[in-house]
Amino acid sequence: MSDAGPGRARTTLDRAAGWLLDASVGERIAIATASTALALSIGVVVVALAGYDPAAFLRNVLVGAFGDANALARTLKFTTLFVLTGVAVAIAFRAGVFNIGVQGQFVVGGFATVVAILWLAPLLPTGPVGGVSLMVVGTVAGVVAGGAYGALPGILKAYGDANEIVTTIMLNFIATGVVGYLVDGPFRGEGNRAPNTARIPEYVSLPRLVFDVPDFSVVGLAVTLVVVVVVASLLTRTRFGYDMVTSGHQTAAATFSGVNARQTVVATMTLSGMIAGVAGAVFAIMIQGYYSDPAGIGTYGFDAIAVSLLAANNPLGVVPAGLLFGGLDSAGSHIRINSDVPVQLIDGINGLVVLFVAAPELFRMVAARTGLGGTDE
Amino acid sequence: MTLGDRGTQLRLGAAVGLVLLALAAAVALDWPLADIMTIGFVERALQAATPIALASIGGLYAEKSGVFNIGLEGFMIFGAANTGALVWIVGGESPTQGDLWAAMALAVAISVVYTILFAVLLIRYKANQIVAGLAVWFIGLGFGPFTAALVWGNRNSPGLVSVSDVTVPGLVEIPVLGPILFDTSPLVLLTMLVAVAAWVFLYRTRYGYWVQAAGENPEALDTAGVNVTRVRYASVIFSGMMAGFAGAVLLAHAGSFTGTGQTMVNGRGWIAIVAYLFGNYNPLGAAAAALLFGGLDMLQIQFQTVGIEFPNRLVNLFPYAAVVVVLTVWGSTQMPAALGESYESEE
Repeated sequence: MSDAGPGRARTTLDRAAGWLLDASVGERIAIATASTALALSIGVVVVALAGYDPAAFLRNVLVGAFGDANALARTLKFTTLFVLTGVAVAIAFRAGVFNIGVQGQFVVGGFATVVAILWLAPLLPTGPVGGVSLMVVGTVAGVVAGGAYGALPGILKAYGDANEIVTTIMLNFIATGVVGYLVDGPFRGEGNRAPNTARIPEYVSLPRLVFDVPDFSVVGLAVTLVVVVVVASLLTRTRFGYDMVTSGHQTAAATFSGVNARQTVVATMTLSGMIAGVAGAVFAIMIQGYYSDPAGIGTYGFDAIAVSLLAANNPLGVVPAGLLFGGLDSAGSHIRINSDVPVQLIDGINGLVVLFVAAPELFRMVAARTGLGGTDE
Repeated sequence: MTLGDRGTQLRLGAAVGLVLLALAAAVALDWPLADIMTIGFVERALQAATPIALASIGGLYAEKSGVFNIGLEGFMIFGAANTGALVWIVGGESPTQGDLWAAMALAVAISVVYTILFAVLLIRYKANQIVAGLAVWFIGLGFGPFTAALVWGNRNSPGLVSVSDVTVPGLVEIPVLGPILFDTSPLVLLTMLVAVAAWVFLYRTRYGYWVQAAGENPEALDTAGVNVTRVRYASVIFSGMMAGFAGAVLLAHAGSFTGTGQTMVNGRGWIAIVAYLFGNYNPLGAAAAALLFGGLDMLQIQFQTVGIEFPNRLVNLFPYAAVVVVLTVWGSTQMPAALGESYESEE
């Protein structure tokens, strides 16, 4: 690569982008399906080995995910979070930056949302106008906080050469610890026995459309889908997105064509953290209405890694992958109440999905061995 | 690549400088230093460092051979959960020391089986090493607490048994060193021996050179007639075994299993990775770095005893913050040249 001119770099760049855009989508879907099926089968085997009825387990999974309106609302609630956090992960992974810190950015963003709303609520009129303004301001606060918390490891990577996998994992622990300390002490709501902030006002909530449940609104899902479309077009249709993706996969070529690798890393991490901040804001406003000790909050930012990988880090693919994981989590809530199978199994299955997605060769070889055209196991 | 090379010296110098700076700050702030740096503190720090050091030594062997085992954290969770479950199965309500050692041995054996599967995925099926390693962590986070829930009906175990201290008669009389080294968990001494053995093996034996060559220059090793793939398999399996052992040691020191949150391993596997980066891939350096993190982990108790007002929850974050600082200041380490690349012999 020593004497490659800009022209050659450009060709390499184009080839890389072309490969990324039209790499056999079919094969990826097949691998994702096979990975999920294999992971679920192992889960069912474990259930049987542990002495439970696997058929009942599968029935509980289906009923828990899509059984009735309540189950569906719960599935869509989790889906909303998984899609947003999944998109946050996908942005970074696509650019070759391993942001494992979405959980921390999600926590910091959600906490900032609650704090901003609590601070500004007395200054604004009550009612729908105040409610909408507070939600907007709160979301902006979440986006800024999440983005800043994502930018930090980006800067450390770009200018200090600090491996972002490890720094973001450490920053997750730090976010959980610090926010946990804040909600326990300085930010604990007056008279609260539990370590929680005060509740945000009743009128700061999304309208109950279609589903009459307190913690899911179709509006939240709609906002999420808008975010998906915006991010997808940003990545595929703008110069910025193009630079981000190519610098992740063809670092040298991208540098030759004038992309500043360091700035791109920081920008990627910031954008990724901002979307995680949106997820945090949605969680704070739509689901919880206050902030509690993050150690007790779901690990959406971790599961998002599985969601994104399953979607081959494609923001549009994150929607079906998020629905799958939303369904699994919702099934988990159902299983927790209606069955003796320890619900941690669902987390284990998520991990297995990631493991198999990491090894596409496994499925290619099996497919080649068995002479199947597809890659179903 | 021994203790004498420049990178290691730089690191040693920097570490000593950091400690001196911390001491100076403590004196300036008028902290009762003598009350903080007690023999009990050093003993606790050593115990806390043990699992990190063991996992770190394993991880550096894998990385030296050219395979990044980022799954240390997950293998530690399995090691801890399996040891806890096995102690309970073997020893019931009141397990003995013998039951504990048997459970640890069995748990390490199970870790070896898991790591063989992992190694096959990484080496034979060329799985993405980073993603597969993360997956091990997630699988551990799921199935570790799952195991606990199956065995105890709860993600946390009841009190089981912790390893009892071994007192060496005579040697324990040595001032300062005696109580620290010869009246403590036998696992601390064992870890020190492992660290020295790992150093000798890596830098003073033919096999150690094979491990290094597999990561630095696999072609040359292949030309010399050594099977690169086999060396890598051995190194990765060793790393998983050590991480499993590290988890077992963690449980043996704690005396019970905690599966809530990020489980009782709580990031130690990740800190182990930083420990060997900081230790410049040197087993002794990694052990020393582990001691630094172990000491930070135990600072909380010292703060409480001398009455320094600082919220516990925040003191607990010191090791994580230290990791971020260490990585930023000494981030660009000399990684093995062929790290992460799969190697195919041209036969």
